[in-house]
Amino acid sequence: MDFKNILISVDASDNALRAVEYAATILSATPGVRVTLLYIERAPNRDRFDTEEAWLGQCKLDHQRVFDFLKTARARLLDAGIPDAAMFERTVLCSAEPSVAQTILDVQQEGGYGTLVVGRRGLTKGEEFLFGSVSSKLVHNAKNCAVWVVQ
Amino acid sequence: MPESVRALLERFRPPVSVRTYGTVFTDTTEFMNIGYGDVIAVGGRHYLVMGDEKERRFGMEDPKFWVKRCVELESGLYRILKLEFQESFDQHIGALTITCHRSAVKEARILRLVAGDPSFMQGAGVKDERGNLVRVLERVAGRRLDLNIEDLHLDHRQYFHEVFPGILERFLAACRAISFLHGHGETHGDIRRDHLYVDHKTGDYCWIDFDYGYDSVENPFGLDLFGLGNILCFITGQGVHTIQDLDTGALGLTEADCALFFRHRVVNLRKLFPYVPEDLNRVLMHYSAESEVYYESVPELLADLEPCLDHLRRA
Repeated sequence: MDFKNILISVDASDNALRAVEYAATILSATPGVRVTLLYIERAPNRDRFDTEEAWLGQCKLDHQRVFDFLKTARARLLDAGIPDAAMFERTVLCSAEPSVAQTILDVQQEGGYGTLVVGRRGLTKGEEFLFGSVSSKLVHNAKNCAVWVVQ
Repeated sequence: MPESVRALLERFRPPVSVRTYGTVFTDTTEFMNIGYGDVIAVGGRHYLVMGDEKERRFGMEDPKFWVKRCVELESGLYRILKLEFQESFDQHIGALTITCHRSAVKEARILRLVAGDPSFMQGAGVKDERGNLVRVLERVAGRRLDLNIEDLHLDHRQYFHEVFPGILERFLAACRAISFLHGHGETHGDIRRDHLYVDHKTGDYCWIDFDYGYDSVENPFGLDLFGLGNILCFITGQGVHTIQDLDTGALGLTEADCALFFRHRVVNLRKLFPYVPEDLNRVLMHYSAESEVYYESVPELLADLEPCLDHLRRA
């Protein structure tokens, strides 16, 4: 694995932005890095919406939020001195199974990423029981790579 | 009495007498206006409304205005009609608040999936004239499991050795039924002990009410597993045991022995009933405040729980 081949898994949250900023700071002085921003897209639960239009409207909003986030994240990395040519973006669709964490790990393995960076929400024990934690699963299940968990 | 309703009643002669007659509804949007004596016409059938269903929990009765107790005029059979009522609301589990939504589409989809499976209530979704998805349900010929257990007048030792193995065996089948849902990308969404019925004839368990849904999360089955754990604690303990009712000092009970979400509810039942085997108690402790490891899937739970039944049978 190439540890300078960095995968930053993001959603459009503040936690993800902290992870990007941390990575930007650490990597700014490291020559030869390649950074991929990975967004795992999961459509909002269709059952929650009365109509197809309402659901599509939410999908569009989510898309826009992520689009804006990726623009911001790229700008932060660029400001830190990561060359534009060394930055990549990837979006992967994910349904309930496999989980988001497993999808991230599949991308990490396929792409030969040696460093994986994620934000952490700081769930309580109860929340982790009921909802599950992506970062915990990554720490437990990642192989052949370093995992940076940023809170 | 409106002519339309009179004609229907004369034609079908329902097995119940009705004091007042109302209106025939082909559009169920305004379900609050549909009441006793009205007729709902959907899916080519007519349902005489006898009243609103009520949720009975902890001695309280809460009317569910969108759920109607009916008699199907064509067959004379009792039916429950759940009218479409899309809503989002906050559900509280201990200190946690979860946004939940009620979905007719989800329940109708699951009804199709489990058609013919006695582990689930039976019925079908049909659309009314306005496009509202009405679920026409067969009444479960049975009684709530928790009420059956509460009515047993046995001390816990006798209950545990003589009755519990049979209950656990059927509960395992009910868990497998939930696993079947999960295998098809569905969740029950509202697993509670009052949503599990015992069939009068077969004694088998039957899940009801699966219209709750949640937003996607990393562990999509966590809430169902939480519900299964609560029921397991209930059936193992022959009820709920709270620290307020126990001599915590004498029993050596601490917060670590209580449930993760309900800090007054004891899950370390071996401290109360020392004959509860270690392996079964270990399963219960996955739901305790001190646990660091949680079940993420029903097969994981079953892998630990099925050997417990073998152990109990051999003992």
